[in-house]
Amino acid sequence: MATVKFDEATRIYPGNDIPSVDKLNIDIADGEFLVLVGPSGCGKSTSLRMLAGLEEVNDGKIWIGDRDVTNLSPKDRDVAMVFQNYALYPHMTVADNMGFALKIAGVDKSEITKRVKEAAKILDLEPYLERKPKALSGGQRQRVAMGRAIVRQPQVFLMDEPLSNLDAKLRVQTRTQIASLQRRLGVTTVYVTHDQIEAMTMGDRVAVLKDGILQQCDTPRRMYDHPNNVFVAGFIGSPAMNLLDVAVVDGGVKLGTGTYPVARDHLKDAHGRSVTMGVRPEDLDLTTEGNGIPVVVDVVEELGADAYIYGTAKDAHQHQDYDESGGDLPERPFIARVDGRRPPQKGETVYLAPKEGHVHMFDTENGLRLGD
Amino acid sequence: MATATAPASAPPARSKETALNKAGDWARRAPLLPALIFVIAMTQLPFLATIVISFMNWNAYYPKERGFTGFDNYVAVFTDTNARSAVIVTIVLTVSVVLICLVLGLAIALLLDRKFRGRGVVRTLMITPFLIVPVAAALLWKHALYNPEYGLFNGVLKWLFGENAPQPDWISNNPLLAIIVAISWQWTPFMMLILLAGLQSRPLDVVEAARIDGASTWQIFTHMTLPHLRQYIELAGLLGAIYVVQNFDHVFTITSGGLGTANLPYFIYQTFYTAQDYGRASAAGVVVVIGTIIIATAALRTVFSLFREESR
Repeated sequence: MATVKFDEATRIYPGNDIPSVDKLNIDIADGEFLVLVGPSGCGKSTSLRMLAGLEEVNDGKIWIGDRDVTNLSPKDRDVAMVFQNYALYPHMTVADNMGFALKIAGVDKSEITKRVKEAAKILDLEPYLERKPKALSGGQRQRVAMGRAIVRQPQVFLMDEPLSNLDAKLRVQTRTQIASLQRRLGVTTVYVTHDQIEAMTMGDRVAVLKDGILQQCDTPRRMYDHPNNVFVAGFIGSPAMNLLDVAVVDGGVKLGTGTYPVARDHLKDAHGRSVTMGVRPEDLDLTTEGNGIPVVVDVVEELGADAYIYGTAKDAHQHQDYDESGGDLPERPFIARVDGRRPPQKGETVYLAPKEGHVHMFDTENGLRLGD
Repeated sequence: MATATAPASAPPARSKETALNKAGDWARRAPLLPALIFVIAMTQLPFLATIVISFMNWNAYYPKERGFTGFDNYVAVFTDTNARSAVIVTIVLTVSVVLICLVLGLAIALLLDRKFRGRGVVRTLMITPFLIVPVAAALLWKHALYNPEYGLFNGVLKWLFGENAPQPDWISNNPLLAIIVAISWQWTPFMMLILLAGLQSRPLDVVEAARIDGASTWQIFTHMTLPHLRQYIELAGLLGAIYVVQNFDHVFTITSGGLGTANLPYFIYQTFYTAQDYGRASAAGVVVVIGTIIIATAALRTVFSLFREESR
């Protein structure tokens, strides 16, 4: 077990000018579960592959424990990786798949059998040890891939979207299993996913990447309560945070017909005459006409205990900077969580006021968080 | 095939439609019949005739002795020294050519699987031997390369070691080897193509997983690449064997079957055209066909298992 340190690690693919991973700095503690998350093409998988040694590091360094592994080949790094498509060895049985690394390392047969059996027990794979991968279901294959990593007893586990090929129900189950297994084994783990729910539920800390640049690396709680910039604010949380471009006025910002009070200090670093205000859907209260933001309800999603309303905010501009795919998105709906027993009707106009102290302010120009 | 089995599996309720169905089936089949009849006339009838003749004593020099003799011709094929040596030459030729081609083809395929500038051009160049007419290739080897007077090999020896350089007569000294080398040159590209296709269908993440699991390049080759290529190697070997068993051009052109290089196809040719022994030639022909069918069955099995693998 060991710490992992990305020190200004940079990867530029041949023929590209822009780095796919740009000066990445992350310190991962011994035994920590770190999740790399971001939209596709953000460099999260590349970062993981750099750590594995499958991708060259063009600049900077990567450390595992006190070893500089930047130029070591994968086999000398003592890491185990779980691939998105599992990458099981098709011509080997489950037992051979799991024992392959030990066999290559020259561990003697009885020891291999023992460790494979132990791992198989942990993962409920005992009945399948003599099967070939193609005779297994997706979930079983995923567990074999996990088993292959566990048997190694490596310093670091690397997981590259290991759940993305499972169906929704199994994904939720396996998510919990992997997290608890990691806590039990205490092996430092770097986990890549594009699914922010996976990131929030599994990680000790979450690192959000965008365009190869680290946006924020924090605990899930802190990430949720205190996003560093507009991108993180919009990416973390489901349904996503509402982001409105609002004008700065005396004593606060203009919201609907009224003014939402914001301390002057809070906005002193803002460039320009407007700021971006972020409010999570659960931090909005229904209020009376004339107060808060008027929203025309388009869709009501009733989930039982709660209901989410999707609507269009009148007299307010949605912040359009945040964009997952890089193209022009249709204007995002304004989302609010309301009491599931008395949801508003479609077409109705409701007035929503942000809860005190649950509003995030960002600079509209550079997207950075304003105030504390 | 589906139409043939349909009436058997059809429920009784459909029996009324059967007549109509049959008419429809025949309407679809009829246009194909000329081609079918042509194929049968051109391939199956001669083969049947060959089988019949193989059981006959039929020699153009002894027209009065023509008649059925049972298995005499087959016994002769396996006991006659010339025939037996032809069988052995065929086996030696086939096995050695296939093995040489597989090893060379695999080596070249591994090299071509890497990325480098001009890979497409090199790949096309590597395939050209396969595209040359076999007789032309054999003539090229016989005259342009092997010839002791003006061949390239001896020319190079002279250029390297001066006037007193050894000038071996390549074909006379090692007749069978000369043929093996010439055929291998022509068939290596074929093996290479199949193996290259196999290499390129290799899943990359499996190789990466093996690298992370600590395998060296050689261990990846033996533990991952070779098992993956197994079916491709079998396929290439079997298809190659089918063609090399039937090789006639090289033997005919380079040695004319002399110096103990006559293989079964050449033996058949000799028995038929020189000895005019139609019965024995037919028997030898049938033996070659049976041998080829055995190899081909194995080849087809490999092909099908490959398809199963792909469609899984």
